[in-house]
Amino acid sequence: MSTKTETPVKKKNQKKIQCFWSWVIGSVILRLIIIYFPKNLNLSSRPEVSTPLTSIRRLAEGYWLKQSSMSPYAGSMYHGSPLLLTLLGPLTVKRIEGQPDHLLCSLVFVIADVVTAMLICAAGKKLQAAYSSSLQSIGLHHLSEDSDILPSGDFAALLYLWNPFTIVACVGLSTSAIENLMVVVTLYGACARLAPLAAFGWVMATHLSLYPAILIIPVILLFGYGPDAPPRKLFRQRTNLEVDDSASGDRSCLEDELVNEKRMLNVFSWRPVVLFLFWALLWSSYVLVLCGIYVQQHSGLQEMFKSTYGFILTIQDLSPNIGVFWYFFAEVFDFFRSFFLIVFHGNILLMILPLALRLNHRPCFLAFVYIVLSSMLKSYPSVGDSALYLGLLGLFAYELKDMQFSFFLFSGYVGVSLLSPVMHNLWIWRGTGNANFYFATAIGYACLQVLYLFSLISGPLLVLILLLSLFSLLLFLN
Amino acid sequence: MVENDSVTEKKPRIRPIVRLGFFLISHSNYVSLLCFLSGIVALLLLPILANNTYISENALMPGSANSMLSTQHVSHANKFINDLTHSDIESHKTVAQYMSALDAEVTYHKFYPQLNQFHPLHFFTSSDSGIISKNISCSSLGINVAGIIRAPRGDGKEAIVLVTPYNPKKVGPGEALSLGIAYSVFSLLSRVTWLAKDVIWLVADSQYGEYSAVSAWLREYQAPVFHEAEIVNSETCNDSIAISELGQNPYSDRNSYGGFRRAGTMAAALVIKVDEQGNHHEDSLNIYPEASNGQMPNLDLINIVNYLGVHKTGFRIKVKKMFSLLGSRWLNTLGGIFESLGQIARSLNPQWKFGISATEYVEGAATLASSMYSQGLGVPTGSHGAFRDYQVDAITLKISPKDSPTKMIRRNDFILRGGRLIEGVIRSINNLLEKFHQSFFLYLLSSSSKYVSVGVYMIPFALLVAPLPIVAASLHADASKSTLQSTYSSEVEVSHKSWKWLNSARKVLVIHLWGAVVSLLPYFLYQIPNSTPTTNFTVWGILSAFSLIILYFILGSPIFEAAPSQPEKGEWASLKSVTISTAFIGLSLMSVINFATAEIGALLIVPICLMARPLKLDAQARSWRALLRATCNLALGFIAFPPVAYFLVKGAFEDFNGTNVGDYWNWVESLWTWNSATYLYVESVELT
Repeated sequence: MSTKTETPVKKKNQKKIQCFWSWVIGSVILRLIIIYFPKNLNLSSRPEVSTPLTSIRRLAEGYWLKQSSMSPYAGSMYHGSPLLLTLLGPLTVKRIEGQPDHLLCSLVFVIADVVTAMLICAAGKKLQAAYSSSLQSIGLHHLSEDSDILPSGDFAALLYLWNPFTIVACVGLSTSAIENLMVVVTLYGACARLAPLAAFGWVMATHLSLYPAILIIPVILLFGYGPDAPPRKLFRQRTNLEVDDSASGDRSCLEDELVNEKRMLNVFSWRPVVLFLFWALLWSSYVLVLCGIYVQQHSGLQEMFKSTYGFILTIQDLSPNIGVFWYFFAEVFDFFRSFFLIVFHGNILLMILPLALRLNHRPCFLAFVYIVLSSMLKSYPSVGDSALYLGLLGLFAYELKDMQFSFFLFSGYVGVSLLSPVMHNLWIWRGTGNANFYFATAIGYACLQVLYLFSLISGPLLVLILLLSLFSLLLFLN
Repeated sequence: MVENDSVTEKKPRIRPIVRLGFFLISHSNYVSLLCFLSGIVALLLLPILANNTYISENALMPGSANSMLSTQHVSHANKFINDLTHSDIESHKTVAQYMSALDAEVTYHKFYPQLNQFHPLHFFTSSDSGIISKNISCSSLGINVAGIIRAPRGDGKEAIVLVTPYNPKKVGPGEALSLGIAYSVFSLLSRVTWLAKDVIWLVADSQYGEYSAVSAWLREYQAPVFHEAEIVNSETCNDSIAISELGQNPYSDRNSYGGFRRAGTMAAALVIKVDEQGNHHEDSLNIYPEASNGQMPNLDLINIVNYLGVHKTGFRIKVKKMFSLLGSRWLNTLGGIFESLGQIARSLNPQWKFGISATEYVEGAATLASSMYSQGLGVPTGSHGAFRDYQVDAITLKISPKDSPTKMIRRNDFILRGGRLIEGVIRSINNLLEKFHQSFFLYLLSSSSKYVSVGVYMIPFALLVAPLPIVAASLHADASKSTLQSTYSSEVEVSHKSWKWLNSARKVLVIHLWGAVVSLLPYFLYQIPNSTPTTNFTVWGILSAFSLIILYFILGSPIFEAAPSQPEKGEWASLKSVTISTAFIGLSLMSVINFATAEIGALLIVPICLMARPLKLDAQARSWRALLRATCNLALGFIAFPPVAYFLVKGAFEDFNGTNVGDYWNWVESLWTWNSATYLYVESVELT
């Protein structure tokens, strides 16, 4: 599906606007058609779509428990946020005669998807404006005039909406649509320099799925330095070149200019950052108070943290998914368990600092890379997470136009996403395969994501990532 | 950044593995030819590489106990057979009487013979039990009789199933004999003390086909639909009344129960049949293992039967062969060549033992071909196929007597031998602690005691398929290079060069979309009542053509317009590379689902994919080599077309005539084959 949309977007830049809206409406209609499809599609019970954290059936169970005045977290069924329960819970119960079950929920997810796409679009426009202004400031006006820069926002939005992964996650009633929405709210808020909005998005995203917490670094950088720009080194180099070219005369004047520019570019404005942090504190205390009210009859916030964050961090549910952790922790001896938990979660933290140093001039891209990283090393990944980063890829379409292996990656994603249900069928339904079959596709998927990340950021990081993957593979073979 | 630049400027050091990759890609023609030929050779070598089977699960212990089946049981069975064939009352009542006389729990299972439900999404949904009960007249009600012996040592959680299909309207001598064998074993098992698993004897009503009877019973057993029972009861059929009367009859069965009775999960199932015709050299036993979609039962089940048949009861065990291959001359010469090669190897080093004799080779090849064919077709070879859908290992044992069963003097002896074999098999399954898991599920049989495991047969497939990604990569590299050179002047074109393939990917996607639409069409056609296969087929053809046209207009027109503006050659290369890589993905996917289909498909598709070139370019070249290639192309197109179309027609008719639900994938695969072949064909015609 995605391929079908990409090229018209590229080809017809002029007819962009009307085309864009018709494609958006088309994607919504497609979702509605699939929702009305007879229920033997059964997407919501597929392990690729719904994880213990995002499954709507678990959410309905949690709501039912709550209604019968028990703790929603009783029995290790529900592991999401209480706020989602209040939002989606009533909708899971409500049935309309003659309509498919969970129709209202699916409508919520469709709306969430569309809003996400719109926000991606808006963020893309902000980024583009920043990009052309920074091009002008280094004096490469001709670049921005000659080549018609892709309207990357529209492109990314359509890519997100038409990505089969997004569609499957939306129709499969996975709550990752809402998590993705919150992540994108964060990004948009940071790009538009709206501290309250960004703080809200960040707090909610962290509350819902914990991993977006690492986005605080790119968000702070965004507030501090502003949106993506070419590396500051480049500004310096350019001015150096000019200095060498002229090689005489008004050197002092140029040097003054250089110093000025440096000062101008390197400045890290603290005010919006502090504002953001303040708002984040405010929102998080607000969210905590709301959650506290909701769960106060049943052993309070402590239980909530235990069965949401604790559940994510200790990887208690070993039912298969497209990640690699379930298999590994099913194999590992119990007394090594905590050690490997630390190692695996340390992987993400290990990557944060070098990436932040390398990409500090491109906070948006840094955020994107973090999202890829966390969806790769997450404890319960699903296709909804990949949908987000594949959609955001469109934002950087112009920068990544020379991306290597694009065709290979595309074929790989197609192959893995087709192979995964087949292997699952062989294992669970036919009984001729075993868990290794399904895990093989999970490994393939992980390798694909490593390669994807590598093709995004080539450079010294490559070594680190390869080492990391090698390390993980060695662990698997232990 | 700076450091990086200096390093790359210093020397473009390439790692050996990357260099190897470059080498492969740059010599893709030779490499692919080599791979393809070696793939075919490896395929022909498979009968030599077959291993002897061995019993992998220790707990089975086949033949460790002496057989307990005596002539007394056999004489009971003889009486049963006589009653069955000569009595006036309905045969299922006779069966039920005899079963309940053995203290077995007897239940009747009424079912409507299910018409073939062609369900396109069956593969992914797997366990849906949404059965449409249509208005079928009561006369078409089938009645299965199932008797259950509770194991004295078991906890009732596991069961072994014996199935004997028979036609109650006209019990043939072979069917009577198979019922007799099953009865003798059943009567023995009702008295033994060692039984740890319940034994179910299902007498399946095969007047509407064995498969539908067995699958209806299994569906009721595994996935009952609760409101369906009410429908049957509310029906004011004479039959159902008769059955309920029969259930209340105090004389006939004290152990007959109204409801459906179950034993535990099934460990294994044996379908017993006796051949109607005699005229064989000796008593032989045919094994039919293939279930739907080329699924096979665990190899251990076949091993037990083979072991007991050969070592204990002296049957000649056979697996289906492709007899047309046995006499073929080229196979015989090939066998001779391999034999002499083996002798040479042995003279060099006596440790090498890979040679087999020519006749053995030919036999193995014929069996292997038949095994591959019936797996690839995806249609089960008997009613045992229904069990595999519920992960129960099952095989059909078809016993062929030496003389015709009607005028058989040694009938008692025959029943004794058959019964002892079945008893032995049941006894060793009874020893099983877990369900079959030790041995292989993915294998091809090259004789009843030889198998080719997945690790071996994947090698020829991998060799056959290996050219596809290599050629795709080299074409992709060529395409991006040529566009880079030709359109270097315009900056816009260069900017998109790494995403160039998207356009061709779109074309391929459209064609595949069409393929999907076409393959879904029969499902909707099926809803039309009162249609014959031929009209269905024509309607299907017309509709698919129509949908192609519609798709062409909706999605296709901008695509095909865009094509001429770009440099033709690069365009063609990238198109081909995308097509080839989709073919590769599809084939490797299929190899996991159904290996045999993928192998046959690869034999057809790979040459097409490698040879295909637009005719126009060939015509422009005007050398004899190009002409040769063009004729080769056309010939391949024509050769590949009829068999694939034949496949298609066969698959379609089998669907319409009602064999089996599960062969959808086979069907899609053949369609898909057809689809990509057509695609290349259409493409070459279009560019002419």
